[in-house]
Amino acid sequence: MASKRARREAGIGYLLLAPSLFGILAFLIFPILVVIWLSLNSWNLLSPAKFVGLENFVRVFQDTAFLRSMTVTVLFVLLVIPLQTALGLFSATLLTRGLPGSGFFRVIYVIPWICAPLALGVVWKWIFAPTGGALNAVLGTNTSWLTDPALALPAVAAVSIWSQVGYVTLFFMAGLSAIPAQILDAARIDGSGPWQTFWLVKLPLLRPTMFFVLVTGIISSFQAFDSIYALTPNGGPQGTTDVIATRIYGEAFQSFNLGRASVMALVLFVLLVAVTLIQQLYFRKRITYDLS
Amino acid sequence: MKSFWRKGATATAALGAAVLALTATGCSPAADKGSTAGSSGPNTTVTVRLWDEQVQKAYEASFKEFEAKNPNITVKTTLEPFSTYFDKLRTDVSGGNADDIFWVSSSYFAPYADNGSLLEIGSEFDSEKSGWVPAAVDQYTRNGKLWGVPQLTDGGIAVYYNKAMLAKAGVDPSDLSWNPTDPSKDTFLKAAQKLTLDANGKTADDPSFDKDHIVQYGYNASQDLQAIYYNFIGSNGGAFQDGEKFVFASDKSAQAFQYVVDLINKYHVSPGAANTNDNGDFLRDQFIQGHVAMFQSGTYNLKNVSDGAKFDWAIAPIPAGPEGRVSVVNNIVAAANAKTTHKDATLKVLQWLGSAEGSKFIGAEGAAVPAVTAAQSSYADFWKAKGVDSSQFAKAAEGKTISAPVGSNYGAAANAWKPIFNEIFLGRTPVKEGLQKAQDAANAAMTQ
Repeated sequence: MASKRARREAGIGYLLLAPSLFGILAFLIFPILVVIWLSLNSWNLLSPAKFVGLENFVRVFQDTAFLRSMTVTVLFVLLVIPLQTALGLFSATLLTRGLPGSGFFRVIYVIPWICAPLALGVVWKWIFAPTGGALNAVLGTNTSWLTDPALALPAVAAVSIWSQVGYVTLFFMAGLSAIPAQILDAARIDGSGPWQTFWLVKLPLLRPTMFFVLVTGIISSFQAFDSIYALTPNGGPQGTTDVIATRIYGEAFQSFNLGRASVMALVLFVLLVAVTLIQQLYFRKRITYDLS
Repeated sequence: MKSFWRKGATATAALGAAVLALTATGCSPAADKGSTAGSSGPNTTVTVRLWDEQVQKAYEASFKEFEAKNPNITVKTTLEPFSTYFDKLRTDVSGGNADDIFWVSSSYFAPYADNGSLLEIGSEFDSEKSGWVPAAVDQYTRNGKLWGVPQLTDGGIAVYYNKAMLAKAGVDPSDLSWNPTDPSKDTFLKAAQKLTLDANGKTADDPSFDKDHIVQYGYNASQDLQAIYYNFIGSNGGAFQDGEKFVFASDKSAQAFQYVVDLINKYHVSPGAANTNDNGDFLRDQFIQGHVAMFQSGTYNLKNVSDGAKFDWAIAPIPAGPEGRVSVVNNIVAAANAKTTHKDATLKVLQWLGSAEGSKFIGAEGAAVPAVTAAQSSYADFWKAKGVDSSQFAKAAEGKTISAPVGSNYGAAANAWKPIFNEIFLGRTPVKEGLQKAQDAANAAMTQ
């Protein structure tokens, strides 16, 4: 009897799982398999795919544009993540103090994150425009922000940070308000000043939040595409903003080398899994304070 | 660049995020759009994809009449912006999501024809064929077969000019000429300099001219294949392609490029390429807003200029080069999707578009010049009634011409030269050296 019931319950369980299972199979697992298959083929979207073995891998790893885009991507991540995390933490600290106007700023910070990145790209393109652009008008300069090889990457990174800071802030705010008041009280009674409390009490307690923010931030920065593409199509000046995602897009949908684009996507995939595992190892080794 | 991952689900998050990157290159399953019934069904919907909003309006008027004559066929149009048209078309044709009929340009049609993605324009069109512009038929004949029904013929290239600005500078635009080697024969550069003003009202040929505060530009030199550099190459006796092979780094062509780049970076009679490399409409808008005196372009901008410009303007021929005026000509065709599920209805719509009756609408509102010869008068009539003399475009097309680029892998080739051209026009890569690099990259991409 019991086993029959258990089986029925399991059946219902699977039934309830079916929709998400279908989603994962159709939109995650199946595309991965397709990309792995495509990476072994030469396909231009129109003619039938032709099996070429590992030729795509050889071509991609000899492709200087691809290697450059890996460097650009890493630079982009290094520009975005520290600033974005520090600014998010800073504004979260300010906003959790309950100062007047906090609610207003909370909304303002999050708005860019809600907006469509492509639309933001178009707006920023106008701000950065060399002739008639807002930034040059305000600064009284004549700078080509997006076509100068030295400025293009910092410019697109700034837009990216600007649009993500609100999101990061929200998580730090949640993390900060989850710290029990008695711990902070105890710290104060022990004579800890605000600076010490921040470094020695709050920051260690924020470790889970920090882990989450860093992991998601790094993943999304590695995949950054829309605003970069809108601001600097064709990889930017001398390829200085040609991050891996725009390179994949160009290879697939402008040059129609689906096989080589798939190889690049696989490289990104492996890289992201590796980075995330390393982060997880690092954070697991550290002490976390179970507050429950 | 957004993340929606839950706390704690790290490994899954990494996988999921990476997969999103992967799916970008995967293909979407085919969905048959717009077909409600088979070819014999009582209500067939035929869809037509194009990139020109003005012609879309003309098509809608045309299809209204078609539907009245063919009550069991409904025709719908889809507009895709030109900047992404050919990227998207390729994906849609591959995934089975393309429309029954879609526009293609001469540069991009070859791979579709070669891979069996298009229906041949065969004997069903024998009665319409004789009425089509012969150059258009030639341009879209590949391997002995015709692959599209000619719709638009761009005429040649000419120069729109701001009458008041030219009158004030004392410039007569009717017979200007440029010369890359002999400045004494160059009247065009001098005119462009006279028409370029800084904030103090000094012209570009004045030694005290302030190039950092220019308020009016003389000309629209930019990285514009059809309107600008192709014509300079032709007028200098150069070539862009020999068959499908790119030869634009050859001496005559390099001279032409150098001349155009100098107009921007040396003489400052055109805005810097930082404005124009990635924005093909920047100079048209600047002309319409009254910041550019001479705007070289084609019939495809006539309606835009006419609707937008709030000043007196007219049309002059392009400046003559050492080999005279050599203008690029281009034609656009409507091609039939080989995967259409209702071939008969699709061919019927195409026959209509290829008839004088069906394509007269294209010219009737002045949107573009129809490639059906008998319908062309509608275009000239429209502009004559508006008081615009559009004859320069026709004259340019009747004179010496250079045909638009072609190739089985044109998209990849263009993608290969574009970033290098960007640098050349910005003045950061020397012209000759950059052209050689771009030519090698383009030829490699074409034959890959």
